[in-house]
Amino acid sequence: MKKTIAVVSVGIRQMLADPLYLVFALAVPLLMTWVMSFLPTGDGSYEMAILGVLVMFVGLNIITSAGGYIIDEKQTGTWQRILASPTSYWELMTGYFIKIFVLAWLQSLVLLLSSKYLFGAPWNQGYLEVVVVLTVYIFAMTGLGLFIAGFVKSTGQVQMVAMAVVMVGTMLGGVFFPIEEPSGIIKLIGTVSPQSWAARALQEILTSGINLTTLVTPLLWMSAIGLLLLIGGVLKLQLES
Amino acid sequence: MKALLEVKDLKKSFGSRQAVDGISFEVEEGDVFGLLGPNGAGKSTTLSMICGLLKANSGSVTVGGYDIAAESMAAKKLIGIVPQEPALYTQLSAKANLRFWGRINGLRGKELNRAVDEVLDLVGLTDRASGRIGKFSGGMKRRLNIAAGLIHSPKLLIMDEPTVGIDPQSRNHILETVKNLKQKGITVIYTSHYVEEVEALCNQVAIMDNGTIIAEGSLAELQKKGGQFQELNIDLNSYPEKAQSAIQMLPGVEETFLIDQKLKIVTPNAEQILPLALEAISRQGVTIGEIKIHKPNLESLFLKLTGKALRD
Repeated sequence: MKKTIAVVSVGIRQMLADPLYLVFALAVPLLMTWVMSFLPTGDGSYEMAILGVLVMFVGLNIITSAGGYIIDEKQTGTWQRILASPTSYWELMTGYFIKIFVLAWLQSLVLLLSSKYLFGAPWNQGYLEVVVVLTVYIFAMTGLGLFIAGFVKSTGQVQMVAMAVVMVGTMLGGVFFPIEEPSGIIKLIGTVSPQSWAARALQEILTSGINLTTLVTPLLWMSAIGLLLLIGGVLKLQLES
Repeated sequence: MKALLEVKDLKKSFGSRQAVDGISFEVEEGDVFGLLGPNGAGKSTTLSMICGLLKANSGSVTVGGYDIAAESMAAKKLIGIVPQEPALYTQLSAKANLRFWGRINGLRGKELNRAVDEVLDLVGLTDRASGRIGKFSGGMKRRLNIAAGLIHSPKLLIMDEPTVGIDPQSRNHILETVKNLKQKGITVIYTSHYVEEVEALCNQVAIMDNGTIIAEGSLAELQKKGGQFQELNIDLNSYPEKAQSAIQMLPGVEETFLIDQKLKIVTPNAEQILPLALEAISRQGVTIGEIKIHKPNLESLFLKLTGKALRD
C-alpha cells in the first residue's frame, strides 16, 4: 500500500507541476464555463451547457492522463524502473488508478464550485447525489482511459482517440443540447456513452432534485462499463509488460 | 567466492530473431563484471531478463539464490538498475525523485532521508538537491540516474551503458563513481561498447556478439588472449580490395578486415609486418592515408573473434 501511495503522490506532483496540464485541465474548461454563463437562463440550456463542459473536460482529462501518462512513463523508462523494483504490477496500476481518480475529482470540484460561486449556476440541492454520480462517472472514464492506454502506442494517438471518443460521446450523446427522438446510431451513442448518462443524471439532480433511488440505471450502467473496460485495459497492459 | 548472480542457458527470441541464444555466466560478490559487445549483441535483452522485466524463453537467472521468475520480489530487492537513458521524473526535484525511488524500494523515514543524503553526496549533487531535474545537464541527469539505482543499497547494481552520449567531464565522474563502488565491494554489471571503460573498471568480462558469449574470463585472461594479436590499421585512399588481397598473402598475417576504406590487419607482430605491408600495398599502386598500430586489447580480441569492430 505504501508503494501505491508513493506512485499516487509522485504522479499527482508531476502532473500539477506541468503548466500544460494545468492549462488543459483547468484554465480551458474554466474559460468555457465562463463563456457558457452568457447563455440565457431559465430554459435549462445554461445549466446543461455548464454540466456538458464539466463532463466533456473531465472525460478528456481522464483519458489523456491515463493513456498519455503511461506512454510517457514507458518512453522515459520510469515504468520499467518501477517494475524492476520490488513493486508489483498491481501496486503500480492501483497507484495510477487512484492518481487519475483524484485528479479528475479535483478538476470536477473546481469546475462545479467555480460555476456556482463565480458564474452563478443555480446549484442548491442534491450534493450527495452529485458526489455519487461524479464518482461513478470518473470511475467509468478511468476504466475507458486505462483500456485505451492498453492499445495506443504514442501520445499523439492518445489525443486523437480521446478527442474522438469524448467528442462523439458528448456531442452526439445529447450532453450539450437535447436530441429529440434520436434514432439509429445517435440513439446507440446516447445509450452507451457514460458522458450522456452522467450529464443527464447531474442535470436532473441539480435542477429537479431527484434522489439516488431513481439513478440506479445510470449508476449501474456506468459502473459496469467502467469495470469491464478497466479489467480489459489492466490485463492488456500486464500482457505487454 | 559465492556467486551473487547465476545465469544459466538463457534464451530469448523476438519473432524469428534470436536475441539471446543460450548464454551462461556467473558474477561473484564484489566483482565488477563487464558485458562488452556491439549494438545489437543482446546485452540489453540479457539485462532486462536479469532484472525480471523480460521473461526468458528458457534458462534461469538467480540473484542471491532467488530465482527471478519464481521469487521475483526477493530477487528484485537485491538489484539496483541504472538504465541507459535517465529514468526520472523531470518535473520534480532531484531529492523528490530519490525519495520516490527509495520508497518504491521499501525505504521509509530516517532510513530514507539518510539514503537520499548519502547517494546525493556520492554522485556530487548535494548542492543541487532541490533543483528541478528538467533543468539539469545531460551529465547531471546521468549521475542522478545512478543515485536512483543505488538508493536502496542494492547488492547488485546493473549499469546499462551509463556513459553513452555525455561530455568527458561527466563521463569521468561516472567512471570515478563506479571505481568508488568497486572499492566499497558493491557488485556491478557494467555493459558498454567502450573497451577502455571495461578495461579500466572490470575484473571479469564477457564479450557478446549475436546473442552469444564469444569470450569470457578475467580481464587479465582476456587481455592475454587479445595480447597475442596486435591490430595494424591502414587508411587506404584507393583500391582497398586490391590492397587487402596483397596483404593476406604475407607471412605472419592472421586475418584482414576491410571496414570502409580502413584495412585492419590482425597479426602477432605489427612492427615486423608493417614494412612488408607497405611494400605490398605500393606494388598494387594503392595510396595510403594514415597508419596506426593498436596495442593488444579486448578490441583486437573481438576483431579476431568476430571480424567486426566493436563500434560498428
